[in-house]
This record gives sequence, structure tokens and C-alpha cells, in this order.
Amino acid sequence: MAVKPMTGQAFFVLAALADGPRHGYGIVREVAELSQGRVRLKIGSLYGVLERLAAEGLIEADREEAHDGRLRRYYRLTRDGRGALATEAELRAATARVVRARLGLSGAEAAG
Amino acid sequence: MSGPGLERRYRRVLRLLPGYYRAKWEEDMVAAFLDSWLTGEPDEDEAILEFRKPAWAEVASVASLAARLYLGGVGAPRRYFAWGQAVRHAALAVTLVQATRGLDVLVRTAWSRHVFGWLPVPPAGIAPGTLGGILPPVVWYLVAYAWIVSFIALVLGRYRIAQAISALAIVPDLVVLLQGQFTGAFQGPSLGPWAFWVLINLAPVLAMTAFHSGAPPAARWPWLLALPANYILVAVPLTALQATGNSAWLPDFSGLYCVLAALACLAHAPRAWSRQAAGSGTWSLALVLLAADAGAYRIFSLTDYLNDPHLIGVSLAELLILVIAVALVAPDAARAQAAAPAPPPQPQPG
Repeated sequence: MAVKPMTGQAFFVLAALADGPRHGYGIVREVAELSQGRVRLKIGSLYGVLERLAAEGLIEADREEAHDGRLRRYYRLTRDGRGALATEAELRAATARVVRARLGLSGAEAAG
Repeated sequence: MSGPGLERRYRRVLRLLPGYYRAKWEEDMVAAFLDSWLTGEPDEDEAILEFRKPAWAEVASVASLAARLYLGGVGAPRRYFAWGQAVRHAALAVTLVQATRGLDVLVRTAWSRHVFGWLPVPPAGIAPGTLGGILPPVVWYLVAYAWIVSFIALVLGRYRIAQAISALAIVPDLVVLLQGQFTGAFQGPSLGPWAFWVLINLAPVLAMTAFHSGAPPAARWPWLLALPANYILVAVPLTALQATGNSAWLPDFSGLYCVLAALACLAHAPRAWSRQAAGSGTWSLALVLLAADAGAYRIFSLTDYLNDPHLIGVSLAELLILVIAVALVAPDAARAQAAAPAPPPQPQPG
């Protein structure tokens, strides 16, 4: 059976959690930074993605912290989530390598 | 509903979401939403909390999430999955009807231009008509063929392509309707053309929203084969009636839609009553939706026949047949969507 492709939003949300747990708005900020401002998640979109990732067992709740009288829930990657992110990152990197080669770009030129 | 104005307004927006989802995620969403507004400057934050409103893009993201949750996919609570499947089946069925009309236009065009040498000379009036108006005939041919492409794209899982094509395909009809409205071409109380646009054109485009990333794929071959089968079983006999000069027997589109929906209900009734067949309830629910669509169109298009008691009588008979047929599957549909939603396990801090 074909593996369901990961959406861009899901990839960025998982990537935002790669270096540690984050709360909802922390994920929004990190996704904007990681994508260099190209992906700006609305809260409704974020929680749609979080719900799907939690249902697929790729993320889980880490802890809750009180902040200004409200509870912030932090999320972290599960082991499956880390694996899925690594696989997707490798796939995207491989695609990028092929595209760079077809465009005749060296690694240095592409980075610059 | 407590909290400052901005929080109160956002919670009001969140009421669009199903209860089970809000119970699980609302507090977290509110916290993230307020975090996205607050600056850390007490005076500024006080003004923001008091006077600002959620942006339209934020409201739209919640509305989109609500649509995806109510029209649930794999893993959704049973009730919402049933609604999602029913809307997906109904959207496919109406798109199939549109695609069959497109195939009919294709064949009639080919026949009227003598592409089929083995067929008799086409009778007068076999060439497909166009709505005319300010748009050239080629637009109407493209519209008809677009529905075929949209249907195939939907079955093959290219959901957004299908939705975009069909959204474009309904624009010319709207242009002609608006032109008729503003130029006074539509006189009297006739609601039929508008009902067609809303119930047959717009409704499937909106219903395609149910095809989201969580939706299970449609049964590919049965739906693909349904297009030629529907053409042979429905469009060919109607074309034959017309070609043999028996046009008086042809039902109008609204009547045909009612009869087809009724026949589908009758064909499904044994499964609906057996309670054994898997997925029977979602099909029953889909047929109820289709029957409601067909019935509403029949009722609104009655305004086209206000001066013809015979056609009013025929239309009411079609409605009666539809109501009787849908009553056979309605109990199964009610069972399918009445199941209390079972909230999936909530991710707890661990």
C-alpha cells in the first residue's frame, strides 16, 4: 500500500518540535521561522494538524504550564513522529539534490 | 462564557466546532490564540483584549476545521464519519449526473457532426443546445466536458483539482442567470433556473469539501464504470425517445432526477432493511441527502409550470414517488447518524 504523503504543514509542525516540546503559539512562531515566513499557520489550521498528528501517534502532549492564568499545553514528538520526520526530511533532501543536479547547481551555489 | 472581549469573541467562533472536539482542544486553542495577540505591554494588551476581534482569516481557518470535523474521515467519531461518507457519496452521485450530461453533449455533438458513420442520419434537434446569453457556444461545450474531467479527478483522488474545475464550470451558468435577472429575461415567479444552479451546480462543489486528507478514497472502478453505465441506462433511452419523435414522453431534468433518486432508494432498500450490510447506513444517509436535493429542486421548479395543471400533477406524482421511496431507507439513515460520538483518547501530558 502506498504511504500517504505528508502535507507541508504537517512537516513544518513536526520540524518545529524536533528540538524539544513547544506549546501551540510556540509552534506557530517556530514554523514561521523555519519556513522563513512562507508558512504562517492560523490557530484553526494548527489544531487541525495537531489533531491529525496526535491521532496518527506522531506527537503527544508533554506537559501543561500555567501562563497568565491560562494553561499552555506543550507537545512533543513521539518515536514514530521522529522517524516520520526523518524519513520525510530525507525524501525532501533527496528531491532537492536531484533538482539541483538537473539545474546544474553545485552545493555551494545552491546554498548561496 | 467568561474572559475579556477578545477571548469571548474567539470562543464564540469556536462554537462552530463539534462539542467533542471543543471539550478536548478549546482551552488550548484559546491560549494559543491569545498568545498570538498579546505583546507583554500591559496597557496595549488591555486595549487588545477589550477591543480587538478575531481576523477573518482566523475565523475562516476555524470554519474550515469545523467542516472537516463534521464531515469526518478515517478515525472520526462514528456519527461524523457517517455524515462525511454520506456527503462524499452524494457529491460523487451529483457529479456523476453532471458528467453523464457532459457525455451526452459529447455524443450528441459527435452524432450531429456525422462522426458515427454507422448511425442513421441524426434527426433535427439532436445537436445539444446551449444557454446562449453573452457567452459563445464553445463555453457551454467546455462546461459540459469539464464535469466529466471533474468527476474522474474526484474518483481518482485529485480532490482539489476536481473542486477547482467544477467551481469554474458553474460560473457560466451564473453569468447567464445574472444577465437574465438584470435584463429582465426571467419574467414571473420562475425559480427553476436558480434552483438548478444552487442545488445541482453549487451543492456538489461545496460538498466536495468533504473530500479532505482524512477521507477514505472512493471505490475507483465501480464509480468509473458508473459513468458509461449511467449513460447507457439513462441517457441513451432518452436520446432514443427524442430521435424517434417521442419527445412528449421525455421528463424534464427535475423529474428525471426525482425518478432516479427514487429508483436508487428502492434498489438500496433491501440492504437498508437487512441491517447486515457494511456501510449500508452511510449509503442510506447519502440517498436521503440526494432525495432532499432532488425534492427541493422539483418543488422550486414547479414555479415553471404554474399555468399548466397537467405538468403540476405529474410533478407532484414524482414528488410522491420520491417521498415513498426515501421513507424506505430513512430509518437506516437515522440509525447511521444517530450514534453518539465517541471521543477518541485525549493526548494527556505524560
